[in-house]
Amino acid sequence: MAAAKGTIWVVAETNADGSLAKSSTEVATLARTLAEAAGASAAAIVVASDPKAAAAELARYVGRVVAVAEPKAAGHAWAQVAAQRAAAILASETPAAILTGAGPDGRDVAGTLATLLERPVLVNATAVAWKDGGPSVEMSVFGGKLVTTSSLVDGEWGIVTVRPNVVTAEEAGSIGEVEDVASSGDLELPLVKIVDQVSEAAAALPIEEARIIVAGGRGVGGPDGFALVQELADALGGAVGATRAAVDSGWIPYNQQIGQTGKIVKPQLYLALGISGAIQHKVGMQTAGTIVGVNRDPDAPIAEFADLVVVGDLFEVGEALLAELKRR
Amino acid sequence: MTEPTPTGYRLTEEQTLLRDTIRTLAFEQIAPRAAEIDRSGEFPEDVRQLLAGQDVLALPYPVEHGGLGADLLTQCLAIEAIAHACVTSSLILSVQALASLPLLLGGTKEQHERFFPDLASGKVLAAFALTEPEAGSDAAALRTRAVRDGDSYRISGTKRFITNGSVAGLITVFAVTNPDAKRHARISAFAVEVPADGFKVARLEHKLGIRGSPTAELTFDDVRVPASNLIGAEGDGWKLALGTLDRSRPGIAAQAVGIAQGALDAAAQYARERKQFGQRIGEFQMIQAMLADMDARTEAARQLTYKAATEVEAGAHDATRWASVAKLVAGDTAMAVTTDAVQVLGGYGYTDDYPVERMMRDAKITQLYEGTQQIQRLVIARALLGKPD
Amino acid sequence: MPLRIVVLTKPVPDPAAAAERLGADGRLDRAASPAVINGNDEYTLEASLKLVEAHGGEVTLLSMAPASGIETLRKGLAMGAHRGILVTDPALAGSDQWSTVQVLAAALRELEYDLVLAGFDTSDGVGGVVGAAIATMLRLPYLSSAAKIEPDPDACTVRVRRISPTGFDVLEAPMPALIVGTQLLGEPRYPSLKGIMAARSKEVVTKSLADLELDAKAVGGAASRSKVTGTTKPPARGATQVVRGTPEEGAKAIADLLASRRLI
Repeated sequence: MAAAKGTIWVVAETNADGSLAKSSTEVATLARTLAEAAGASAAAIVVASDPKAAAAELARYVGRVVAVAEPKAAGHAWAQVAAQRAAAILASETPAAILTGAGPDGRDVAGTLATLLERPVLVNATAVAWKDGGPSVEMSVFGGKLVTTSSLVDGEWGIVTVRPNVVTAEEAGSIGEVEDVASSGDLELPLVKIVDQVSEAAAALPIEEARIIVAGGRGVGGPDGFALVQELADALGGAVGATRAAVDSGWIPYNQQIGQTGKIVKPQLYLALGISGAIQHKVGMQTAGTIVGVNRDPDAPIAEFADLVVVGDLFEVGEALLAELKRR
Repeated sequence: MTEPTPTGYRLTEEQTLLRDTIRTLAFEQIAPRAAEIDRSGEFPEDVRQLLAGQDVLALPYPVEHGGLGADLLTQCLAIEAIAHACVTSSLILSVQALASLPLLLGGTKEQHERFFPDLASGKVLAAFALTEPEAGSDAAALRTRAVRDGDSYRISGTKRFITNGSVAGLITVFAVTNPDAKRHARISAFAVEVPADGFKVARLEHKLGIRGSPTAELTFDDVRVPASNLIGAEGDGWKLALGTLDRSRPGIAAQAVGIAQGALDAAAQYARERKQFGQRIGEFQMIQAMLADMDARTEAARQLTYKAATEVEAGAHDATRWASVAKLVAGDTAMAVTTDAVQVLGGYGYTDDYPVERMMRDAKITQLYEGTQQIQRLVIARALLGKPD
Repeated sequence: MPLRIVVLTKPVPDPAAAAERLGADGRLDRAASPAVINGNDEYTLEASLKLVEAHGGEVTLLSMAPASGIETLRKGLAMGAHRGILVTDPALAGSDQWSTVQVLAAALRELEYDLVLAGFDTSDGVGGVVGAAIATMLRLPYLSSAAKIEPDPDACTVRVRRISPTGFDVLEAPMPALIVGTQLLGEPRYPSLKGIMAARSKEVVTKSLADLELDAKAVGGAASRSKVTGTTKPPARGATQVVRGTPEEGAKAIADLLASRRLI
């Protein structure tokens, strides 16, 4: 189809090392899929002090990438810097929609853009389709009891924040064009300086991007118990997660907390060790593809929604599972 | 919001917030301790600190002495909310109020200034010492003697079944000051600060329920008490005791309502989860009927209790009848509802894996203390029929 | 130097009551279940109370809600906040985020403050974009995902510890600033009963759209630019298989399931 009804734009995120964030490969794939449905084109903006590597990778997902080299993106809180540069570019384009990730940085970008461009935001999409000239967004509400579908009112276009792991990243099959743009003009919004950066335990993949999660709860008993959880995660090629109880007890960092006040994840496999499955945790993982629980209590709430529950001591079952996996 | 009217009540916004706060506190901090408190039989000092720290023990006292000046209905809401989680814990509040009532009703300003701040802050616990080995239902037959000696009294005698007797720092003691006067005029009330020479906690009871609440036998052997610790005038004791019971019985009723509600909630939760014969037992009509009756009875007891508290607070002329009716109905309700809760849980309800057997054991005391159910019936009948000629 | 802190709070249906539902118009039916302070707002409120305990100052609660929102404000006052402002107007029912942002920004323009604190997101909207949008509108320095907030009132700056994938970053900005918090700010206190009794004498101001000089046609339900077009129940997961037996039997059951679903 000819002249696009505008362009579906992605504002991408990068990791600390400058590589493209996994969530952005998913959002870019989504933009391309929606663009095909809309008869529009898909493009992406990446703003970083050195965006070259990320831009090159983005170009494998969408036809056009605008790479903005912005020195202030380093050493300052990134999201508002990126949003301003993105807004400047989008001001001279005809966006049909803007997509961002729904993680902490993505939503900060979305919120900032919402004001700069005076656009509505549809948040936390678990699925996006293109209907009647705009995005039709599914969102899980009420602790997972209901899925709502929302769209924008006629004639409006806006921003959609997209949850990690709801779209499988897929390359376009051809490489798009990268435009390198030097940032110009002052940044109007106040800059927030980063005065220190502290590394704690080596971060693996951010947990919301993991395909497989092995999580430990109160039943793990202590930080040493999490060694088994890590071993199982390694054997399955996944990441380690935890309940709030484990985090509050100091056994594992907050970055890995899953649940109402932690992260909401949608892995293909969620293996829950010593986790009761109470609602505050359930809302964080109940849409996982396969849910397996190991628990001493056969009446634990997790038995109501897991695919498989093994009743037993999580350490004994865990060790046996490690052995079983080695054999296969 | 609407003020309580003479013929009814509506919870104010403040009462609702207060009730909800204490409910949350009880659910999060006290309920997890309840089974252990019962099992160990130890006084829960941590819960006492928690209640003191959250100003719960300040509820019954006037604001000018560090209290919250809460009305009786508000105090009942607090007792009910705590009893829902742990009856032993609810006694910390209800006995603090009970033991302070003689001072509230008949004490001097100087006595209020002297005693209330530490009671309101929870620094000092109070106990109510009326009952004796030979004077239970027949409380007026008490024999503990208080003899005037210069500017003090010497108190000798034995008290039995005194809640908090071993942890209290202030004990309201009823003793005979005038053995030759007419029956009720013999008795006076004293605020006795302990420890004191001659005061001993002789033993603690091993009880069916409320096992974490220390129930003590206290012996007084010539314990010296300053005359300024006499509450009211000599001979006022019996009147103070009766006035106290009018205000404390609704609290016991509220406690019973809390116990019943806790048992009902546990039984309903079990009925939702337990499967037999291929379905949740909550689908069976016999279970549904039991639960429905438990709910209806508990609600009836609750509304009666709230109404009674409102009437007593308003100084109704028939306050005594209201207090007794509420205590009678609520106590019997708690016993019936907790027994039915065990029934709903079947064999599991008989074990300590579930809390209902503890609730059933705890419920029994509400039919016994602050006047047995039989005494309540005498009080109510007398109100109906008038005194004999 | 004392701190002036405004805490944005929102009453939401009590997640524990699990009684939330949508009304006929596809909007959240706020009357269907009791409202509580949004869980995440309690952490920022607690942080603000600790800050004024340490530095002196006052905490003002700001909420856009139906008239019943005054009860959740009272709870915040009972926890120790000093005054509350409720923006309420029938025209605001069904507002989208854009309206919320404009209303709260307008209310903030009338106030003087060193810090505005917002919760991570709301349990009924779960968006987490409002903080950034308001900060942008008011041109306030924006610091998000705060695990720790350390103002220096004499230097008029604030430092925030922001969790990163590798640990944490320390951000710094001049005050006034807008900060979005996380649960790591610390467990909220129970309202003390003294606090509850004291709350009744604390000031709560209500403001309508007219008071803020906002046009009900531009802001509020009528101006909402998004709509709910449908709802579905999520697909039922299917029966749970429960395996009891030896650890080896359990392990085999798990491995068989994973293999059948091509996860190993």
